[in-house]
Amino acid sequence: MRRSSQRSSKSGGAEPAAAGSARIPGRSSVLARLEPHLFYLPALVIYALFMVVPVAGTVGLSLVHWDGWGAPSFAGLANYVAAFRDPLFWQALWHNLVLIPYYVVLPLAIGLVLAAVIEQLKLRGTGFFRFTLFLPYIMPGVLVGVVWRWLLNPVFGLVNEVLALFGVAGPAWLGDFKLALPTVGLIGAWAGYGFCFVVFLAGIQKIPAELYEAARIDGASAVGEFWHVTVPGLRGEMVVVLVANMINALRAFDVIWATTRGGPGRQTTVIASYMVENAFNINRVGYGAALAVILAVVTIALSTATLRLLGERK
Amino acid sequence: MRRWVSVFLGITLIAALVGCSGQSGTSSQPQGGSTQGTTQQSEQGTTSGTEQIKLVFWDTNNSGVLKDVVEQLAAEFEQQHPGVKVEHRGWTTEELQKSLQRAVSSGEGPDIAQINNGESSMGPMVRAGLLVPMDQYDEKYGWSKRIAAGLLARNRYTDDGQTFGTGTLWGVSQTGEIIGFYYNRQIFAENGVSVPTTFDELEAAFETFKQKGVTPIVLGNLDKWPAIHVYGDLQGAYTTLEYLDQLIYHQGNQTWETDDIIVPAQKLQEWVQKGYLMENFAGVGYDDAWKIFANGGGATLLAGSWLSGDLAKAMGENVGFFLMPDRDRPTVHVGGVGLPYGIIKTTKHQDLAAEFINFLVSDRAVELLIANETLPGLPIGDEHIKEGTLSGDLYRAWNYANQTNTVGHYMDWATPTFYDTLTASLQALMAGEMDPEGFARELQRDYAAFLATKQ
Repeated sequence: MRRSSQRSSKSGGAEPAAAGSARIPGRSSVLARLEPHLFYLPALVIYALFMVVPVAGTVGLSLVHWDGWGAPSFAGLANYVAAFRDPLFWQALWHNLVLIPYYVVLPLAIGLVLAAVIEQLKLRGTGFFRFTLFLPYIMPGVLVGVVWRWLLNPVFGLVNEVLALFGVAGPAWLGDFKLALPTVGLIGAWAGYGFCFVVFLAGIQKIPAELYEAARIDGASAVGEFWHVTVPGLRGEMVVVLVANMINALRAFDVIWATTRGGPGRQTTVIASYMVENAFNINRVGYGAALAVILAVVTIALSTATLRLLGERK
Repeated sequence: MRRWVSVFLGITLIAALVGCSGQSGTSSQPQGGSTQGTTQQSEQGTTSGTEQIKLVFWDTNNSGVLKDVVEQLAAEFEQQHPGVKVEHRGWTTEELQKSLQRAVSSGEGPDIAQINNGESSMGPMVRAGLLVPMDQYDEKYGWSKRIAAGLLARNRYTDDGQTFGTGTLWGVSQTGEIIGFYYNRQIFAENGVSVPTTFDELEAAFETFKQKGVTPIVLGNLDKWPAIHVYGDLQGAYTTLEYLDQLIYHQGNQTWETDDIIVPAQKLQEWVQKGYLMENFAGVGYDDAWKIFANGGGATLLAGSWLSGDLAKAMGENVGFFLMPDRDRPTVHVGGVGLPYGIIKTTKHQDLAAEFINFLVSDRAVELLIANETLPGLPIGDEHIKEGTLSGDLYRAWNYANQTNTVGHYMDWATPTFYDTLTASLQALMAGEMDPEGFARELQRDYAAFLATKQ
């Protein structure tokens, strides 16, 4: 707004180049007013093409019955009603909620402690630690799944071999009815803490060094510095990380699909895997789309609520 | 300014919604029109020089020997038909169905494609009028004289797409599949066990292995589906083909809550409890499992014929194959046909497509398949059966099952959602989280829900 008003005041001036357009004041002001919008038009077109259209398409699909082959028939809200009546949907949603501590709290704690340890202790080779500790986060989820499937293989996997050294017979992990969900949760935590770690690492840099010095003069221990300087100083970063991780927990898919495909039984079925199964494997495209919409709504609602509760007040 | 943006976004959104629903609502007609446009164009493009016809076929042969076989056949077909260019594209099984769905509905599908049997693709495609009926070509090429009726039935649907397993022929399969026990000849010999000929002998053999600390059956069920074949083959010892036909083809108001289903479920749990299945099988993947078997990690592997090439390569003369032995009646063996090749309705070259499909199941094709240790969808001549080899065992088993009409079904064909229900329930059954009666009840629940949608 400020820019465009500057512009129009200029064109109203005595400059010869602007004099021509000054003769048609209406048109020039329209152009002038449009100009700033033209700058984001390309981005808007891309956004519309790759975000708005698919989202609208998904909403549209959620309102039809379609087997993926023939002509779709209008279903109204039947797919949504079906979801709310589907015990498997509720079971999957419950699994998403169970995953929240694994995907949110654990990575946050691990990332925070690691960042504080590396920054406060000023260890040698910080760059190396930063790089290697961040590595799991940049690995694609499917690869993380494949790697852990291999590590957790009960016949020749590393985890059970190590347990065997201590005389413990390792379980089937990903195939065990009670352990499967916590196991994929822990894998998710492993895959996600790198993000928290890097955000906190950056955040610590901006905490004034004087605060640490003052704390030290007051006789604070390293743990004291952590609790009274580092943690309060990272409040903003924590909110960001919290919301991002929560979204990850709700849309959890790749690691689960690559490890258990939602099994054993349905012990690790989450909304996203149930959605993919419906939309692509068993030809219930409309129902799958409805699940996607519900998942999006739940995600938006929960992350907005979190931001409202914890976000910085201006 | 914010209002301006929101108005713009609102308009895009509505336009997108309208555009989308318009597209899906009228997908069959105008897109059919555009198909003609594109195919005509491409034909004009190629006819400018010499008369050239392009035949495109899609299947799941995206790697390995089967890819080589079909591409070799395509090249030979081109030689026999000057001016014809045959283009092959291989996908993974999951990708093929998704890509075909998109391509066919946008009018850019191939001339020929492998169509998943039953309700996963063939049923919906027949109902949507996307396939060319192949009865006239059956008359011309005599497929039903060469291929067992029970196998061909798997590629049949009534014209309205309502009844599976009967009516018009919509595709022809090139390969056959059968489930049975691969066994480690050395482990069998070392423990004084010979190939069991009755069900009691089989269980006795497992007990012997167990006593001697050898894993009787190698299994990895982390990927969910391998148990379909283990339970299915065991179930085959307690049932009849008529019962299974009725269930799979939805005829005769059959139910899953019978002893045919429950008793073998009890037997499977018993095998798990007795330790006949590999320890911690629930946490091992399918590919890892057969490699464990190939490395001598157990006496048998209950799996499909499609592994024969890989296992022969890894184990040489040390591996053999036998079918689930009979109990009091002939065992029905899980198996069937590879994905059938069907003709997509939008093709411009129906007759040529049918001729190519016929070539895919010709004697020449069988010869190539056998040379590559793959099981053709037809009985195999004695001249190909070599004693003491894995393929020899396998071909004899396949001929036997075809002659005795005991090639059963993949149970997950029963309903569109059955794969999901069956795999989840089997994992629960084998973990002791579900009892055999509850297992049968769960299958019936899925089945009844599907039948209800058909009425």
